Amino acid sequence: MSDREIDLQLVERVRAGDKQAFGLLVEKYQRKLLRLLSRMVRDPDEVEDIAQETFIKAYRALPQFRGDAAFYTWLYRIGVNTAKNYLASRGRAMPTLSEQALDEDDEPDERLVVKDIGTPESELLSKQMVIAVNEAVDALPEELRQAITLREMEGMSYEEIAEAMDCPIGTVRSRIFRAREAIAAKLRPILDTPEDRRW
Amino acid sequence: MTALHNLAAQADTPPRETRLSALLDGELDDAAARAMLREVVANAAQREQFSEYCRIGDALRGLGHDSARLRGRVMAALEEEPTLLAPMPKAVTRQPVLWLAAATVAAITWGLWSMAPRQEDHARMAANEQAHLAQAAHDDRMVPYLAAHQDFAQAVVAPSEMRFTRVTLAEADR
Repeated sequence: MSDREIDLQLVERVRAGDKQAFGLLVEKYQRKLLRLLSRMVRDPDEVEDIAQETFIKAYRALPQFRGDAAFYTWLYRIGVNTAKNYLASRGRAMPTLSEQALDEDDEPDERLVVKDIGTPESELLSKQMVIAVNEAVDALPEELRQAITLREMEGMSYEEIAEAMDCPIGTVRSRIFRAREAIAAKLRPILDTPEDRRW
Repeated sequence: MTALHNLAAQADTPPRETRLSALLDGELDDAAARAMLREVVANAAQREQFSEYCRIGDALRGLGHDSARLRGRVMAALEEEPTLLAPMPKAVTRQPVLWLAAATVAAITWGLWSMAPRQEDHARMAANEQAHLAQAAHDDRMVPYLAAHQDFAQAVVAPSEMRFTRVTLAEADR
């Protein structure tokens, strides 16, 4: 089942009354959405407010979601419109990107690098996370490092990775899982998710 | 045979602990993915694991935002929202339209077929024509006429009912 179909399955579950399934969609796309919005709005508190509003609007509009576009593409449009309306209501213009760049119908252009803006606390945590993840990846055995890198950074399928690493698909699956678990073990002390933020 | 099928299915099914990771990568078959999604949605520990894997992937792609707070805020706000009960519409069934189209085509075809002259009608008409022509050829009175018009014999097809009468000016004067 492809990534897009998984999203559709989650949407279907939400539409059948399962709110927890929406939480998984939030978990999956919140960082992407936050980065997008931080290109349009500088204040990190405002970015988070707009992100929350975007998700709530998306939840309310789910009965109209037909799955013609990928879930994130749909969410992205809601996010851009919410941010535009927010800025317009305050008589402000988007500071960092042209309207054209944000009006693209396709997936947002990840090459448009603009400095991310966050609260000092969140920026510190973000930096710590990135450092910890990179250190954890560096510490992995070669075959695990290669597998997780090809998957997460190159976006290759298991079949492609199996071909590149000359091993069975089952081995690729196992290596990626073990790499994730090893990295997660090093992240847990940093994240130390408080009780009220857990699922 | 069933045991063999079960063995084959087991060989294809990833080990339990790797399934969530494979789900996130879109690498489970439909049935396994549906089952795994049901488990994840229902199980807090698995949702936490899902969350960790998402963070790792995002961090590797340079998306390091701390957003545990955002998810909490969204989920708290959702508590105030009515639960959605709008299942995805099933794929629009095209069967009635197809049946209607097929019935229309069948009716038109039948109409055209029943109106069109049949093969045997053609044969009968041709035979009648030949018989009339043969009869006319044997009629001595027609010989001069046919001789005079033989150049147009292929071009002119006279109806079989037509009767030819030789009329001379002298007769007309009488």
